Amino acid sequence: MGLSTSTLPFKERIAAAAKDKFAHASIAKAQDTQYTKRENARAELGNWQDWRKLGQSIRQHVIQYLPDYLEEFSDNVEKRGGNVFFAQTTDEANDFILNVIKQQQGHHVVKSKSMVTAELDLDKKLQALPDVSILETDLAEFILQEDDWDEPSHIVFPAIHKDRNQVHTIFKKLGYEGDNDPEHMARFARKYMRERFLEADVGITGCNFAIADSGIINLDTNEGNADLADSIPKAQIVVMGMERLVPSMKEAEIMDNMLARSAVGQKLTTYVTFEGQQTPGETDGPENFYVVVLDNNRSKALGTEFQEILQCIRCGACLNVCPVYRQIGGHGYGSLYPGPVGAVLSPILGGYEQFGELPFASSLCAACTETCPVLIPLHNLLIKHREVETDRLNMMHGFTDFQMKVVGKGTSSPFMFKMALRFKHFGLSPWTHQKPVTATNFFEYNNSMITKGPGMVGGWTDVRDLPVPPKHRDDFRVWFKHHKKQGGDAK
Amino acid sequence: MTIQNRDKFLDHLAERLGQPRHQLATHPYQQLNDLPQQTLSDKTPAELLALARKNSEALPVTFYEVAPVELPQLLTDYVTDKGGGPLLLPTTSHFADYQLTDWQKSIAADQTVNYWLPDADRATNLKAAEIANIGISFADFLLAESGTVTVSTNPGQGRALHFLPIHYLSIVPRSRIVARSTQAVAWYEKEQAAGCLDSSAIHFITGPSNSGDIEMQLVTGVHGPLDVTYVVVDD
Repeated sequence: MGLSTSTLPFKERIAAAAKDKFAHASIAKAQDTQYTKRENARAELGNWQDWRKLGQSIRQHVIQYLPDYLEEFSDNVEKRGGNVFFAQTTDEANDFILNVIKQQQGHHVVKSKSMVTAELDLDKKLQALPDVSILETDLAEFILQEDDWDEPSHIVFPAIHKDRNQVHTIFKKLGYEGDNDPEHMARFARKYMRERFLEADVGITGCNFAIADSGIINLDTNEGNADLADSIPKAQIVVMGMERLVPSMKEAEIMDNMLARSAVGQKLTTYVTFEGQQTPGETDGPENFYVVVLDNNRSKALGTEFQEILQCIRCGACLNVCPVYRQIGGHGYGSLYPGPVGAVLSPILGGYEQFGELPFASSLCAACTETCPVLIPLHNLLIKHREVETDRLNMMHGFTDFQMKVVGKGTSSPFMFKMALRFKHFGLSPWTHQKPVTATNFFEYNNSMITKGPGMVGGWTDVRDLPVPPKHRDDFRVWFKHHKKQGGDAK
Repeated sequence: MTIQNRDKFLDHLAERLGQPRHQLATHPYQQLNDLPQQTLSDKTPAELLALARKNSEALPVTFYEVAPVELPQLLTDYVTDKGGGPLLLPTTSHFADYQLTDWQKSIAADQTVNYWLPDADRATNLKAAEIANIGISFADFLLAESGTVTVSTNPGQGRALHFLPIHYLSIVPRSRIVARSTQAVAWYEKEQAAGCLDSSAIHFITGPSNSGDIEMQLVTGVHGPLDVTYVVVDD
């Protein structure tokens, strides 16, 4: 499906996500577990704030001089005997990849996890090729593939929305006869995928970082599937977003440490690999090495207030602290890139018409900004998106626009503002309900509640009741003024 | 085919950035602080060994410290414990360095032993890796901070040697225990710049293959070796 993972409107996606109790519970568990692991790993390293500044400085420098780093990287890939294709669009990238597979006479393609290939909707394109089999080899991606290509819901844990029973059902279709123990199911997956690895002729991998000064790539995994994908097949196709560079291995090593601690609370991922075109004399690894560098609207962020989003290293830490992600999960966002990073990135890559709601799917609590290992001011970028949508693009049409105009007029005129304060209690009376008196609210000042508010107020009352504002004579300012006149003590 | 569509692509990026291309020579990246170099730099070799053991065992990795003379017996016991061959060994002078040539002969008399051969073809070496119950290799470094061994590919030691066998043992001299990945990467960069290392792949391996993709329950051995053993040899 590419960048968009749903055809449903935003509100329907959220309603569907809210009904998925297992996904909701598993996301909460993941967030809580990862919080402890991540913070412990960072604390153990020490000086985390200075590490963040270091990581930011590397990524900002690369983005600022991106054309030069890409030129250096591609020159060095070529020197090693490899090939680089610069793709402006997803169509260009897909055409190139399919052509390479044809040229290589590839029949068995193995893939390791890659967000960018999902952005290309590459799996679907590969499925359409005659006589070509495709296998996603990351365990989570494998589960999604075998469940009729279900969509991922997390950057680091793509199948977080599935429980062991669902996985058990999926694996039974493949001939698995064991129980639903994750260890047993993982062993079955190992055997199933190993057989296909050994017949693979093309490996497709992502790229955590491309090393500019040596023309090799850096891959971080825990399973080792990327290492098999770059060892066994004769051809390797690396698909990378254009911003995923570092100057040298020295900076890659710094980023690998920060990525592992931020993504999964490990010091390093189990496998940190630096690899490229096979060197003469070696017998495995890619004899034919291709790198596809994809723009797909990333360049729209360059030179704008959104440039900092290109610093992202896809650790997913911002998802793991986000209260909105906790409630609506990955599928609620409807984008391949969910959570705060997705709410910033998706409108840039896919446009405001498709992803314009996402910057508003945030409480602006700034937990994402606080946890980002490369200091991306995520919540500020969300505010900037809102500014663009409302001020520059004037996208807030209809009743919302009317309401905001009324609020604007009312709050900018002292007379109107005072009138609004005077009549707020009366004005909201059509939506007011008296709650029955109970033991818990017996002493409360006001049992009048709005349970289904008008217009924008409905956004609040959809999830909780709104107490009716007091009558004008009971307002604190009015009471205070009256009290002082009577010579009362202001204390 | 080599590089396609580059100039148009990069010119567009430069235009978006509002600056001309080819600025890097006068604006190279300067490391902001020396945290990578300073972290754990105060540890003595004995402290690094203790840290390496602690962090490796937490992964979990089986960790041994032996004198060179004890190494052959340990390897024989290991092979027996893991159910025997086929073994996959690299073609390397390290066996002679560690005085393991007699062990090579004796183990070959009892078990099926295959070597990753520089003059064999791709299919032959991959087949040897595919059927291997045990893979043994020599590491370039052991990183104390993370319990990681590092290996570089060469004609006598392919990539798949480290990933296809069911059980994996890595031998590393005590003098090659360093604080963290920073020191290992600095060495690899220096060797490559000096033309002493021409490798297409450098692997940092931190314990056995694992995954938390089903309900976040950690399981080992999804793709790579099911278990990993490090042997630190006192040199």
